[in-house]
Amino acid sequence: MATEVEVSREDQLKFPYWSPIRRRFDPESSFFAAGNVERELLAKQVALDLTEEEKLQFRNMEDEESSKLYCPLVGCGAHLRSLDEFEDHYTSRHSAACSVCSRVYPTSRLLSIHVSEVHDSFFQAKVARGFAMYECLVEGCGLKLKSYKGRQQHLVDKHKFPTSFEFFKKAHPSKKQRKKDQHKQAFGTKEAASRAMQMEEDTMDNLVSAVSKLSTSDSPSSISFGRRHNRGLTFVPRAVRQAKEPESSARRS
Amino acid sequence: MADEITPRRDPIKSSVGNVAAQRRRQHAITVAKERREAVVRTKRLCRVGVGGGGDDQLTYDDDGDGGDMMIDAEQSILEAQTCSAVQDLQLAMLFQGKGAMQKRVAALREVRRLLSRSEFPPIEAAIKAGAIPLLVQCLSFGSPEEQLLEAAWCMTNIAAGKPEETKELLPALPLLIAHLGEKSSLPVAEQCSWAVGNVAGEGEELRNILLSQGALPSLARMMLRNKGSTVRTAAWALSNLIKGPDPKAATELIRVDGVLEAILQHLKKADEELATEVAWVVVYLSALSHVATSMLVKSDLLQILVERLGMSNSLQLLIPVLRSIGNLVAGDAHVASTVLVIGQSITDSILPALIKCLESEHRVMKKVCLLLLQHEFGLVLTRNASMQEAAWVLSNIAAGSVEHKKLVYSSEAVPLLLRLLVTAPFDIRKEVAYVVGNLCVAPSEGSGRPKLIADHLVFLVSKGCLPGFIDLVRSADIEAAKLGLQFIELVLRGMPNGSGPKLVEKADGIDAMERFQFHENEELRCMATKLVDKYFGVDYGVDDE
Repeated sequence: MATEVEVSREDQLKFPYWSPIRRRFDPESSFFAAGNVERELLAKQVALDLTEEEKLQFRNMEDEESSKLYCPLVGCGAHLRSLDEFEDHYTSRHSAACSVCSRVYPTSRLLSIHVSEVHDSFFQAKVARGFAMYECLVEGCGLKLKSYKGRQQHLVDKHKFPTSFEFFKKAHPSKKQRKKDQHKQAFGTKEAASRAMQMEEDTMDNLVSAVSKLSTSDSPSSISFGRRHNRGLTFVPRAVRQAKEPESSARRS
Repeated sequence: MADEITPRRDPIKSSVGNVAAQRRRQHAITVAKERREAVVRTKRLCRVGVGGGGDDQLTYDDDGDGGDMMIDAEQSILEAQTCSAVQDLQLAMLFQGKGAMQKRVAALREVRRLLSRSEFPPIEAAIKAGAIPLLVQCLSFGSPEEQLLEAAWCMTNIAAGKPEETKELLPALPLLIAHLGEKSSLPVAEQCSWAVGNVAGEGEELRNILLSQGALPSLARMMLRNKGSTVRTAAWALSNLIKGPDPKAATELIRVDGVLEAILQHLKKADEELATEVAWVVVYLSALSHVATSMLVKSDLLQILVERLGMSNSLQLLIPVLRSIGNLVAGDAHVASTVLVIGQSITDSILPALIKCLESEHRVMKKVCLLLLQHEFGLVLTRNASMQEAAWVLSNIAAGSVEHKKLVYSSEAVPLLLRLLVTAPFDIRKEVAYVVGNLCVAPSEGSGRPKLIADHLVFLVSKGCLPGFIDLVRSADIEAAKLGLQFIELVLRGMPNGSGPKLVEKADGIDAMERFQFHENEELRCMATKLVDKYFGVDYGVDDE
């Protein structure tokens, strides 16, 4: 029935608040495993002449041998011998930090996607020209979308990401804190965020218009670093310049 | 090293020297594995006879140092000896003349010695040599007591072996069960019950066969006897027999006339060893059978268990006692509320008893840690079963009415719990988290969100419990991470004057929650995102700047 489906979907969206309930376990539940091992250890320690060492090994036996623990980060799946191992694993394999803005990502692939999307002017330039540049974040998918929002939608529709998921998070509110702690990822006020975005967008716009001016000038088709260097422009590939032309013609006054 | 070929081998065997070396290496590996299995299996090898075992010691207090233990015996020699001993038995069975009985018993004794002195009894060899049909014959009705004892002892140890070996004993089961009867001599019945216990410990299939052959009533009646060792062995065998997963056996047991009284009597008065085995029977009764649980609850069982909890320092006893209490409390809301009536002496004494469990084991744990450091095992901490189960019981009490929560909250448990939340091994921390969280939330009425108990929350947070929860959020365990996030939500929502978010931020909570951005568990991802969006979203920190 339609209403039943709706209700359960709503439940899914609701936060599962802490509710005090009594918990029961089956006698064969893994919860009781340690107690069961202890029982047998104590009952047989004399008959089997167990050493303290051995007893310790038996107590920890279950943890390591039958450990079905895997790293829960998407795409990792590394086998963890114990829970304690997870912290180490996380700091060594999942803390790829951006050298420009200190945001942290769990894989180097996601870090490089971030760097392209946020700190690479050419990425934005290509986007502006209509290339599908926004990669799907799920490894192996391979799809590329033309806009951030489009990629977002794809993640939600195809890969069941939550609608509130944001790959590019806004800046952290407490700037003092951010300066202190380099590993913190950014959250924050709309103003700070939009300021940041605006700055980057402005740079893009400047670059784009500069490029267009370039292509309309009567200078030779290739740009030499020497002559233009004092203008502080970076090299723009010919393909980009040429793609820009229709727009640049509109800009011509 | 197993690679060396020892020079003391005589020339005839030198050609098989390499093979022997390989076998020794294999043996070493198998030894470690089998030793581990021998410990964890719910079977017990019989090394000392239950009574009148000729030249053997009679007490269970045998320190097991056993000058007779053939620990280093070559397995192949042992197997050869076993084979010839079984052959001798066969000859003795055929012999009809004068002294036949003595011959039979002597042969049986030899087989029994081989099966009980070595670290790894040559069970397979014995079976291959045809021991079982002979032993079955020896169990026939009217046989002399010594013969019955020795035969049953042999079977006990055969049944302590591998599944396929235990299964070979199927033809012997009806006889073993028959000898449990009240007309049997006590030592014989006891030894047979040991054998039955080992068979039952093998698995569900054999358990069901034993039950269908009427093992239960006979074993149950053995608990009514006077002799301590008999009751102990019978109780242990019963715990193997009723452990399910089918609850039928447990229900049948509690209905046997006199069993409930016997259980209460032994739990109240017996020495710790016996009380331990009886307590394990109660564990399975309370875990599996509703009928049993309601009968147990109506009796003074809980009072007796709580007294034991308070008085005993034996880890062996504390585990089944704790677990029984836990099962009873967790079983049924009605049970819990009738049993844990505030103001009654039970609730007054259960808390101190539980606290003592958490405390004393903490000291034991500290000692063990020091031992570990000394032996350079690094900082791997052991799981301490009884602490985990004590915290579990407490969490179920704290899940009760507001009065129950107030009781726990105002007891000495809280400072201890807060310490454990930071210092204990993971499994215990998780259980403690349940207690702390349960203290802060009133039982939900209807479908609404459960109400916060603000003063409990404020106090506990002021005492520094938040970092412990945030630590759980960081773990790879889904249940723990969920608990952590749920508690963070309580803090964000319930701390007065909107102080929650700052507290969470200060404790690195935002950082911990950000891990879930790329977490594969959707529920956790959603939970973390919701919290961050709601409490650390657009307007967070605006006033600061």
